[in-house]
Amino acid sequence: MPTASFFAPATIALHTGYQPEPPYGSRAVPIYQTTSYAFGEASVGAALFNVEQGGHIYSRMSNPTVAVLEQRLAALEGGVGCVCTASGMSALFTTFLSLCSVGDHIVAAAQIYGSTATLLRYTLKRFGITTSFVNINDHTAVATAIQANTKLVFCESIGNPALDIADLPKLAAITQAQAVPLVVDATFATPALAKTIDLGANIVVHSLTKWIGGSGNAVGGAIIDGGNFNWGTEQRAFPTLTEDYAPFQGLNFWEEFGPAAFTMRVRAEAMRDFGAALSPQNAFLLLQGLETLNLRMAKHVDNAQALAEWLTQQGGVAWVNYPGLSTHPQYVLAQELMPQGAGSILSFGIHGGLAAGLAFMDALQLGTNLANVGDSRTLVLHPASTTHSRLDSQAQQAAGISADLLRVSVGLEALQDIQADFSRGLKAAAKLVKE
Amino acid sequence: MYLNFQQAQIYLGTGGKVFDANLPTVIFLHGSGMDHRAWQLQTRWFAFHGFSVLAPDFPAHSLSTGQALASIEAAAIWVWDLIDQLKIQTVSLVGHSQGALVALEAAAMQPARIRSLSLLATGAAIPVNDQLLQLAQKNKPAAVAAMLSWGFGEAYQFGNSQVPGLAPLAIAGQIMQQNPLATDLAVCQAYQNGELAAQKIIAPTQLIFGEYDRMTPIKAGRALAGVLPNLQSHTELASGHMLPVEEPAACLQLLRNFIQPFALRA
Repeated sequence: MPTASFFAPATIALHTGYQPEPPYGSRAVPIYQTTSYAFGEASVGAALFNVEQGGHIYSRMSNPTVAVLEQRLAALEGGVGCVCTASGMSALFTTFLSLCSVGDHIVAAAQIYGSTATLLRYTLKRFGITTSFVNINDHTAVATAIQANTKLVFCESIGNPALDIADLPKLAAITQAQAVPLVVDATFATPALAKTIDLGANIVVHSLTKWIGGSGNAVGGAIIDGGNFNWGTEQRAFPTLTEDYAPFQGLNFWEEFGPAAFTMRVRAEAMRDFGAALSPQNAFLLLQGLETLNLRMAKHVDNAQALAEWLTQQGGVAWVNYPGLSTHPQYVLAQELMPQGAGSILSFGIHGGLAAGLAFMDALQLGTNLANVGDSRTLVLHPASTTHSRLDSQAQQAAGISADLLRVSVGLEALQDIQADFSRGLKAAAKLVKE
Repeated sequence: MYLNFQQAQIYLGTGGKVFDANLPTVIFLHGSGMDHRAWQLQTRWFAFHGFSVLAPDFPAHSLSTGQALASIEAAAIWVWDLIDQLKIQTVSLVGHSQGALVALEAAAMQPARIRSLSLLATGAAIPVNDQLLQLAQKNKPAAVAAMLSWGFGEAYQFGNSQVPGLAPLAIAGQIMQQNPLATDLAVCQAYQNGELAAQKIIAPTQLIFGEYDRMTPIKAGRALAGVLPNLQSHTELASGHMLPVEEPAACLQLLRNFIQPFALRA
C-alpha cells in the first residue's frame, strides 16, 4: 500500500508534521492559540480563499497545532489526509454528512456505540438519511442491505461494548464490489494495534478522547482519508465529491484533488459550515498522548489480557468477554487482524445479574464508574443503563448488550492493584447475592 | 474538462475555469506516474488571473483513457496535436521531470509557437536506475515506495504539507499506484535527444531545480543550463525532486514572474 511516511510509528508519533521552526526553535509543538492569520498582502487572502495556495485562514477550518496532529494521524494510519474535529461524534457526523444528502442511505453495524446508533437511527433520519442496521459479521446481510442510494457502510473495528471484531478484509471485498466506501470507527483499536486502512477501510474515524489522548483530559475526533476509493466510479454516484461545488466557483473535488477529494470537501464545507473545530489547546494535549501511544497500548493490552484471564478464574463471575481469550468466538480473527492485542476493553457478567453488577461497581475504589473509555485509569460502566440506554431492548440485544453486562476499560495501574480492587467488588456482589 | 482526442477520453485540468483559447495559454505537463494534480497549487492561480490553463493527464493516467505514450517524442507530438485540436496558436509550456522532457522536445519541434518554456527538476536526459526500472515492472508497490522515498526531500519525509492536514507522500503514492509507472520510467530512460532539442529552442527559458533532488541530480540540470540558447532564469530551491508539490508557493511565484511578461505580450 502507498505509504504516508517511511518512519516507524513510534517516530511518526514524535516527529511528523513539525520540526523546530523559527524564531524560537521550540522543540515541543507550539500551541497556536489564535483565531486567525494575517494575510500580509490582500492578494494572499484572496488566494487562500480560492484554494490557489495552502495555508491557514481561520481556526475553525484549520490551525497549525491541530494540523500537526492531523498530519501525524494521517501518517500513522497511512492515509492521504486527516481532519480533526471537536469530538469523535462530530467526526462521525461530519463524515456522514460529507457523503450523504437527503434521500441517501447508510448500512451500519448493529454492534456500535449507543450515541452513534442514535445519530444514525434518529438524528440523520430527520435529514432524510436512513440507515439499515445489520449484524456486521453476517456478510450476506451486509451485501444485501446495500441499496442503489447507499453512500457508505459503517462499522467499528472492535464493537462497543460487545467487542465484536469486524472482519475488515471481508467487508472491504463486499464494499469494493459494490463501489461503496467502508467507513470504520477504529477508536478501540487505535493506530497502534491495527492498520485499519491496510485492512480495507476507506475512511477511518477516531475518538481522540480515548486512548490516543489517553489521560481523560481532552475531547477530540479525527477523520482519516485512506485516499483509496474511486469517487469517480461509474457504479455509484457521489455528488458531493464529483459535482461542481458552487461556493468554490464550481470546484470539482474529485477532479481537482483526486485521492484527497474527501478530505478537502470535509475541510472546505463541513469545517466551515458545521464548525466542529478542535481547539489548539486540546490538540496539544492530544499530541502529548499520541507521542506515547505505542508504549501505553502495549501496557493497556497486557493488563486487559491478564485481567480477563484472572476474571475467568473468579467464582462470582458468570462470563467474560475479551477478544484475546481463546473462548471468544472471534479469537482467531482478532489474532489475525490485531496481532499486538485486541484493545483494552473487556466485558463481563456477575452471578446475580444486574443488581450484583451494580454492587460490584459501587464497591470499587480504583475503578471509576463513568461514561468514558481509554483513560490511563481503569473505568467501569453499565452500558444498558447509561451509554446505550437510548436504544430499545431489541437494538440493545442486536448490539450484544445484556442486562448484566459490565464494560471495563482496563487502565495502566499495576495489575495486582486492579485485581485487588475487583476482588473487593466481587465480594460486595457475592454478599448481595447471599442476602 | 474532458476531450475526446485520438481514440481516447482525455482529462485536461483547467484550474477551475472554463478553457478559453483566446486567453494566453499555459500548459502544465506532469512527471512519471503522476497526473494534473501535481500542479494543483499552480494551475488555479493562473486560471484565475487572466490565463487559460491546460494540465492534461497523459493517456492512461488517472482520469484519461487510452494507451500510454511510448516515447518522449510521441508525447511531444501528442501535445502539439492537442494544441492544434484546441486551436491554440502559441503557448507557454511548463513541465516537471518527465513532463519537462516532453516540454523540451515539444518546444524544439515548433520553436516559434512557444512563448516561454519552464522546466522543473530535469536534465537533458533523465536516466533511470536499472533496479527501479525492474522494480516498476515486477513489483509496482515497491517501485512506488522507492519513488516516494527518493522523490520527496527531507522536509516532506517528516510529513510537511503546504495544505493543512494532507500527506503529500500518500497522495502521490495513490496516484502513482493507478498509473503506468513502468512505461513512464522506460520512456524517460530511452530519451536521448534532449541536448539536441535544447539547442533548437528560441523561446525564453526558465529552469527550476531542487538542491536535494535524488531522481534528477542537480548537476544534470546545470549541464542542461549550459546548452539552452535563451536561458533567462535559473533557480535552485531547497527541495527534493517533487518541486511543484514540495515548494508550491515558491514555484508559483517563479512561474508567475517568468511567464507573465511573455504570455501577456501581444
